Amino acid sequence: MSNNRLDAKTRRSRLLANAIVIVLAVITLLPFLWFVVMSFKPADDIFAGVDGFFFTPTLENYTSLWSDRFAASMMNSFITSSVSTALALVIGTPGAYALSRATMKRERTFSLLILASRMAPPVAFAIPYFLVYRYMGLLDTRLGLITVYLTFNLALVVWLMRNFFDATPRALEEAAWIDGASLWKTFMVIVLPMSGPALVTTAILCFLYSWNDFFFALTLTRNNAMTAPVEVVNFMNYEGWEWGKIAAGGTLIMVPVLAFSLLMRKYLVAGMTAGAVKG
Amino acid sequence: MSTLDVESRHRKDVGLAGRAKAGTSPAFERQRQRFFWLLLAPVLAILAVVTLLPTLYLLVTSFTPLNLANPATAWDFSDPLVNYRTLLTDDRLHNSLWVQAKLSVVTVVLQLLFGLLVALLLNMRTPLMNALRTSFLVPMVLPPIVVAIIWKVLYSPDISPAWWLFQVLGWNVQTPITDAGWALTAIIVADTWEWFPFTMIIILAALAMMPEEQREAAEVDGASIWQLTWYITLPYLKGTLLVAGLFRLIDSIKTFPLIYILTDGGPGSVTEVSNYYIFVQSFSFSYIGYSAAVTMVLLAMIVVLSWIIIRAVSGGSNVEQ
Amino acid sequence: MKRGDRTAVETVASAGLFRRDVLKFALAGSAMAAIGLRAPAVLANAKPFEGITLRGACFQHIFHTYIQKLLPEFEEQTGMKVEFDLQAFPVYNQRMDLELSTQGSSYDFCNITHSFSGRWISAGWLTPLNGFLDDPNKTAADFDPDDFVSGTQIAYIDAKKQVHGFAWEAGAMMMAASRFDLLDKEGIAMPTTLAELADVCKATHNKSGVAAFVADRLHHWNFPPYLMGFGGKVFRDPPGDLMPVLDSAESIEAAAYYAGLLSNYCPAGVLSYTDDQAMRNQLAGRANLRINAMSWLLPLAKSDDSRVKDTVRFALMPEGPKGSFPACNANAYGIPAGSRQKDAAWAFIQWATSKKTFERTALEMGGLATPRRSIIEDPRYKQALTINGQDIASMYLDVLERSGRDGYMAYRTVPVWPQAGEKINKAIERVASGQADAETSMKEAQAAAVEDIKKAGVKL
Repeated sequence: MSNNRLDAKTRRSRLLANAIVIVLAVITLLPFLWFVVMSFKPADDIFAGVDGFFFTPTLENYTSLWSDRFAASMMNSFITSSVSTALALVIGTPGAYALSRATMKRERTFSLLILASRMAPPVAFAIPYFLVYRYMGLLDTRLGLITVYLTFNLALVVWLMRNFFDATPRALEEAAWIDGASLWKTFMVIVLPMSGPALVTTAILCFLYSWNDFFFALTLTRNNAMTAPVEVVNFMNYEGWEWGKIAAGGTLIMVPVLAFSLLMRKYLVAGMTAGAVKG
Repeated sequence: MSTLDVESRHRKDVGLAGRAKAGTSPAFERQRQRFFWLLLAPVLAILAVVTLLPTLYLLVTSFTPLNLANPATAWDFSDPLVNYRTLLTDDRLHNSLWVQAKLSVVTVVLQLLFGLLVALLLNMRTPLMNALRTSFLVPMVLPPIVVAIIWKVLYSPDISPAWWLFQVLGWNVQTPITDAGWALTAIIVADTWEWFPFTMIIILAALAMMPEEQREAAEVDGASIWQLTWYITLPYLKGTLLVAGLFRLIDSIKTFPLIYILTDGGPGSVTEVSNYYIFVQSFSFSYIGYSAAVTMVLLAMIVVLSWIIIRAVSGGSNVEQ
Repeated sequence: MKRGDRTAVETVASAGLFRRDVLKFALAGSAMAAIGLRAPAVLANAKPFEGITLRGACFQHIFHTYIQKLLPEFEEQTGMKVEFDLQAFPVYNQRMDLELSTQGSSYDFCNITHSFSGRWISAGWLTPLNGFLDDPNKTAADFDPDDFVSGTQIAYIDAKKQVHGFAWEAGAMMMAASRFDLLDKEGIAMPTTLAELADVCKATHNKSGVAAFVADRLHHWNFPPYLMGFGGKVFRDPPGDLMPVLDSAESIEAAAYYAGLLSNYCPAGVLSYTDDQAMRNQLAGRANLRINAMSWLLPLAKSDDSRVKDTVRFALMPEGPKGSFPACNANAYGIPAGSRQKDAAWAFIQWATSKKTFERTALEMGGLATPRRSIIEDPRYKQALTINGQDIASMYLDVLERSGRDGYMAYRTVPVWPQAGEKINKAIERVASGQADAETSMKEAQAAAVEDIKKAGVKL
């Protein structure tokens, strides 16, 4: 086979593949883009059909919804997501390490149980949580939400970090132990720093899942601790689905997670794979 | 090439060597075991509280006819199996299980398929593709409730660009979310759009680590792309596909925002999945006892299913116990 | 000052003057105010509810916006702060239901959604207000609870004649054509019977690109008037006999009729329409006839978004072969059983539903779906509701009175109404989307309703 022919053939197929990827990317982004564009449309143009295709963009949807309440709900989202992520990492990472390093019976059972805790449908769990929280006064508090987010975040942390630790050779730790370093110190000084990237990835995923939660926030908060996704649903009011505002609100809650994900895309990709494939 | 396969083998290699090297004394061993249990204890304790306790509550409540509108029904164990008997004859529940099965199977298969196709494509890793890779992540990171609203817009003829297009073309297309035959498909499309990036990324990363030797050897032998894919790539990906599928299966049981916003379980009950049925029973009528029983059954099904799949994934490997 | 001249607030404020142990209470006054009891005023202008924050929950509705505009005066006079927690309608109903079921005290007043009134009242989740009404110290003489048109209050009075709420909004079902000119052109008058309605729809559907009819997807609200018009019923004899009768021949006929309207004469996608989406179709002149509560039809004439102001016509809901049963509902303010500031809550409710307040919200601000007769019969109201030469106010009053007098809305106020309503919703959906014919669907609804009602502990 001549080199030229190979190159041409490869170049052609790459060109074709590139073209297909562009088309696919556009199709994937189209629903999202349409939504964002709608948030800049004045109310009349939204219903105007094809005539409304060319319109003068306006910020009125954003300014009218940017109330104290919406800002507060974004802050609530931010706080509950960050704190629950931090908590999950602090509690879960040592546990993941232990699961990885220790030799124990029924190890697969533990794994399955931890995985099982992710199976809990929020719809079913919301009731017991609601009843208990009411009794304990945790309804409509950020602490309450943070606690409930631990249900899925903790399992996620343990699952991901444990896979990471499994893939990491013990040589360093064992050397440290022989040298007489304490178990705890080895963990803190050697193991943790080494797992930086994995920790970052796990943190991003936990943050993402917490920020995006809808049902728990819907049931367990009122107006003090309401998070952004629930606030958006509140625009669907009795007298009208204000599409412009809904689009604006939806876009606003998307922006933090989008920006976050874009900035951290390398970690995100690495992390998703660590859960399934050794990376 | 499954996760548990690889990790168990790895651990065996490293562990044995490690233990020999460290020359550990029994005292140190005991100390180490204690240390690990200490680290694990908080995790187990907290998971027990936040996950096990509510499940126990649901289990216990499933034996009562608890109805929040009727206080007398709380803790009424006079007829513990009443809910379970009822659910055996509950046609609407059986319908919801069937709808759930349809939704889960089709979405998982489609997500694996699209994820696979896009991943195979992106695996060519041209500079353009590397740049565009992030755009495929977008559907997955959006809050699910926003995804639901986006698709509500797309499926509402009044404001959807699709229908303006149809109008221009002169087609009179009904909206799928009110059509008994198409409503579930509408939800499947939205769900697949939302989650195919998940499977795509996992497969893409697995592909990145695929050993090149086999593939190159086959190429030299003149294998076509299709043969390469079918006989080399796919078998390599088997474990990955299973794990990705398992994750998506578990999450598909929890589908809520799409149905809440798009169809409310309708028209009729064609898009009412079990999760949604539980929602209606608990939150519209306060039949907590009954919905708890349904939840228990659903959870049991998921656990059993996951167990089967995990065994399939790690099938054959001897995990050192 | 004569008793009768006092407003509610002034009564409450000055009641303290007549207490004998004023001095003793003055000291404890602030403490009592803090825990929600009315602190008797030592001086004539002392504020009786100083320091109290009243929390209320409602679904989002323009009326609460009006009230919030008028609040400063009320807060000034009573010293309390009132905070509204507003949520979207479906979210509100589910949350409130859960909240009330646990006897919570997070809210001092709440909206009693009409379709849940039976459930919440019979479960004892709301506070009876008769004690307040009978106490001249707590209720102004001019509050006049009988001024509320009977149909608006009927849902909030239980079998023992205890009243649990007072309406702030009333819904009276009537018919409006957004493009009457299209009917007029063909020489067609507004239909007066259901048979005529079907004919008119058939004759005018899609002429000039306008759908003949439009509805929203709340079939449990829209459908029962048709059901009863054909001679069917929801329950055999509410509130005593709650056996559903959704599978009678008349019910099936009505279901076929209504589902036929939806699938043959409405715009595409009508089965997913919210109230707002249906209204927007009419506002833009894309759909002609709609039968729903007046508040959804008035914007056709009054809203800035309306393109059909000149061509809108109103009429009473067409009669069925067995009579006319236009639906009537109301939403009311009530006090959750667990509230710890009931006196303050009552003071607020009294003020918010008083004649003076309604005068302002209805006549000045345009909240015309008002439940008080004195306002409806006010000439200014009549004028505001004279649209294109028609007297809508009389139609409105007629429906409100009729439903109160004849009591046919009783089905909506039984505790198990939400369950039955949901089955009706699904049944109509099934027929209109072609999944089943009317007979199969209604029989299925009947079986499911019986099951669910039994689950609620009702003996059938």
